[in-house]
Amino acid sequence: MTGKDIIKITLNLVVIYLIGGLILAVVYAKSSPIRFKNNVIAEQKALKELIPEADKIEKLGDWEIHEKAAKYWVAKKGNDTIGYIVQSFGKGYSSYIKTLIAVDKDFRVQKVEILDEKETPGLGDEVETPAFKGQFKGKDLDHLKVLKTDTTEYIQAITGATISSRAVTEDAVANGVKFIREKIQGGGTAHVGH
Amino acid sequence: MSATNEEISYWELIKNGILKENTIFKLALSLCPAIAVTNNLKNGVFMGAAVIFVQVMVNLTISAMRKFIHPRIRLPIFMLVISGWVTVVNLGMDAVVPDVYRSVGLYIQLIVAFASILARAEMFASKNTIMPSMFDGIGMGLGFMFALVTISFFRELIGKGMLWGIPIINAKPLLILVLPAGGFFAVGILMAAFNWMYAKYFSAGQHGSH
Repeated sequence: MTGKDIIKITLNLVVIYLIGGLILAVVYAKSSPIRFKNNVIAEQKALKELIPEADKIEKLGDWEIHEKAAKYWVAKKGNDTIGYIVQSFGKGYSSYIKTLIAVDKDFRVQKVEILDEKETPGLGDEVETPAFKGQFKGKDLDHLKVLKTDTTEYIQAITGATISSRAVTEDAVANGVKFIREKIQGGGTAHVGH
Repeated sequence: MSATNEEISYWELIKNGILKENTIFKLALSLCPAIAVTNNLKNGVFMGAAVIFVQVMVNLTISAMRKFIHPRIRLPIFMLVISGWVTVVNLGMDAVVPDVYRSVGLYIQLIVAFASILARAEMFASKNTIMPSMFDGIGMGLGFMFALVTISFFRELIGKGMLWGIPIINAKPLLILVLPAGGFFAVGILMAAFNWMYAKYFSAGQHGSH
């Protein structure tokens, strides 16, 4: 290898890194506000859909699950608390499944929404289907268990995706419900002023 | 390559990518994504579209720079160019079609490692001018998309009784087809069918290519 080669190789790499970096910077700058906006819109829409009868959904605070930051909200109608919404994560087969859980004031699950997951397409990602999510309505903490057999009392696993089903049910939702119940009942006085 | 030759060959280049050198059915390259994403039609279509974009952009970039690139570092440079364009698709799809991105995002990033894209950059784009390289990219990309769409069509229809997420038949005739193991069967059977039809209808008159 001659000195000329070395100079040419260096020049090659410098030019390509510069052009590539420039293109990526432009695309990132253009797309990141859109992605941020999409996320905010998705969150607001999801909150409203979870407890449609609430006329005010206020953020109560932050908590942490799987070392990820999550939020929780209180839903009010007039001055009455009608329920809570908890953000929670479940450790799935190939990703952390990001969920929102709505509970009524007796901490029974009203609705579960999946915000983000990267489970196996066609299998694990069926946790997003209404057939699976619909099973959660009315379940309390004791009934948030996955069974592989036909069940309406507990949660029925998706065929071929037991790990994803468990991650949503026994990890994300059960831990979220447990957290909000302990938070509100345990430290109930802390929120009286609201 | 003379000017008249080039004009005739654009259509041939596209046909070549779809039929004679079909990435999946003929060359048996990039079989991993062909199995991983093809359990529903929507994923197949969007994955195919992403691959067409990346293949065309990579071919264009490499052929434009082919005289500038030092032969000793051509492969690292091909990889840089490929990963650059894949990142563009990745960010773009996340912003423009977030719903689709949620299901295929994981595999979009894997396009970086597709043997077929690197192979076309090395075998074609680095030796040809911009226009043929672009058509080669379109042809190879379309061939890849054609294979993904065919495979995912049969897997979703027979495995789940649905197409594009819409129920077509009220049954799941062969659930195994949407599982990874069924993917191997689907790819194998369709590959055999493709080659049978190819031998019967397209290879007549051509000689000595295989």
